[in-house]
Amino acid sequence: MTTWQLTLGDHSRIATVDEHGQVSIGDAAWRVVPGPTAGTWLVDDGTRQHLVAVATQGTTRWVAVDGHVSVFEVDTPRPGRKKAVRDEAMMAPMPATVSKLHVTVGAAVAAGDVLLVLEAMKMELPVRAGRDGTVRAVHCRVGELVQPGVPLIEIA
Amino acid sequence: MLHRVLIANRGEIAMRVMRACREMGISPVAVYSDADAGAPHVAAADAAVRIGPAPPRESYLNAQAILDAARTTGADAIHPGYGFLSERPTFAQACEDAGIIFIGPPATAIAQMGSKIGARTLMQQAGVPVVPGVTPPDQGDAALISAAVDIGFPVLLKPSAGGGGIGMKVVRDETMLAGAISQARREALAAFGDGTLYVERLVERPRHVEIQVFADRHGGCVHLCERECSAQRRHQKVIEESPSPVLTPAVRARMGAAAVAAAKAVGYVNAGTVEFLLEGHGDDARFYFLEMNTRLQVEHPVTEVVTGVDLVRAQLHVAAGGRLPWTQDDISQRGHAIECRIYAEDPARGFLPQAGPLLLYREPAGPGIRIDSGVVEGREIPVHYDPMIAKLIVSGDTREAARQRALAALRRYPILGVRTNIPFLITLLEHEAFVAGTIDTGFLDREVESMRAALDQPAPGPAWAAAAAAGAVGEPVIPGAPHRAADAVRIAADPFVSLGAWRLP
Repeated sequence: MTTWQLTLGDHSRIATVDEHGQVSIGDAAWRVVPGPTAGTWLVDDGTRQHLVAVATQGTTRWVAVDGHVSVFEVDTPRPGRKKAVRDEAMMAPMPATVSKLHVTVGAAVAAGDVLLVLEAMKMELPVRAGRDGTVRAVHCRVGELVQPGVPLIEIA
Repeated sequence: MLHRVLIANRGEIAMRVMRACREMGISPVAVYSDADAGAPHVAAADAAVRIGPAPPRESYLNAQAILDAARTTGADAIHPGYGFLSERPTFAQACEDAGIIFIGPPATAIAQMGSKIGARTLMQQAGVPVVPGVTPPDQGDAALISAAVDIGFPVLLKPSAGGGGIGMKVVRDETMLAGAISQARREALAAFGDGTLYVERLVERPRHVEIQVFADRHGGCVHLCERECSAQRRHQKVIEESPSPVLTPAVRARMGAAAVAAAKAVGYVNAGTVEFLLEGHGDDARFYFLEMNTRLQVEHPVTEVVTGVDLVRAQLHVAAGGRLPWTQDDISQRGHAIECRIYAEDPARGFLPQAGPLLLYREPAGPGIRIDSGVVEGREIPVHYDPMIAKLIVSGDTREAARQRALAALRRYPILGVRTNIPFLITLLEHEAFVAGTIDTGFLDREVESMRAALDQPAPGPAWAAAAAAGAVGEPVIPGAPHRAADAVRIAADPFVSLGAWRLP
């Protein structure tokens, strides 16, 4: 018997899996067996079986079933763990090139102000301030290729 | 007869052209940027030449590097695909000057249709109906604003050199004009190196119906019926189909004749598409010339499926000097075809383009299902190029049968590692307006918010169950599982998958 904590957006559930592929989450239960090809699983909910595709990247687990895609965070359960508080760092939503930088350190900004403009896949993507404040740090420059999840500008 | 054809493109269209080359005994040559070393289109060719770094301007738009590649590999022709250099008259001319066949129309035809002003005048002269609009000779803000006011709102700003919806802006009143002009100009400059803008009256709630035309060098010119492309989001097509749910035989015949007249007016050769806006219903429906795309279209498979022709094969045949393989009487539509464009974008977050590793990618297969794709499991979707990664084309005896087949196929098309628009395509195919065939070109932009509720469905129970059962990284919980959970990541990091193919000296 193994126990996992699955998090999807704001929802977090504890799941147990036994050696026969019986999965339980709360009152619900499924039987899961390996599917016909690598990365696929057959999930029986008692009414019908579903063909589910799963891929893992670090602690992130991508799951597709009937055209619906979910991205879970998978962890061993840690009782009483608090949700991380979002900081005020503006990040790139995807790999992109910085095409314009509108602020410097010390600038006062209001929520919604365009701080910088990214360019990716032939599109301009403005990055806006999440709240009012002062620019504490700028971690990028024009022309730089930036990655998602890395802070570009911090607002204090 | 062509012997060796260089395909100056990447992704699914490069794969599509190479397939036709192989069938005809022609040796295909690929070109690639550093981001595409080892890409499927590189592996599909007989030879592959690196043409530069990842940014398109330094690789797939680098005409000199591509011509050099054609010379060193002994290619006698270049197929440009769509996008990139496909509608640059200077490139078509440079090919001709270098003694290499450009698989497409003559440079003069590209130039004439590429200029929105010139094309419009030509079309008027040829008796093809057009929408009111102007490209002010003075491109200053004041002149553009005054032109827009003269035409009357709403107006559409378009890059004169462009296509594919890039840099297009709808402006509904004068106060928004100045900002839209500078943004459209900037995007036009970035995408096409030319900031000239065209100002046009926006026809409200029109349909986008286009006619495939094909001409040879011996005066032959036919049309291959229509494609309905009204399902567009921000001028980017999402779903195309043929026949159109609303075109009557009489309007189809008139539109087809207008498209052939348009092609003949510029001395067109090879495959092209004449786009029209359609207003109204029944035999009284009116249509206006929108533009001519002087290349093979993304959605060409829809026509291939309903007419039974192979457009790329015909392109290669006609480029070599052959006559059209069909007369107008040979062409008819049979059954119904629907194409869904699969984009790496996140519908839940404003359709933001996605880049990243394709951890898992499995295409559906079966009767009436065709997939044109240029990606494989384990590789990265690069950030530098168009986010369209594949096309699902389905056929059916009826529109409803094709729609149901498309839905079933999309539900068995798992793509993991990057978000795609598949949930959005499913929502659209199930929408009552799509079922009824009443979608106009503005439908998606109006309804996208109301469709979001359908996209935000909670994850189904089996998704939670499978997420738990797949276990921890590298530790499958269930004995006998044919894989490790980390397999996909390992594939992405495998040097034999991600390293480039052989290179020519």
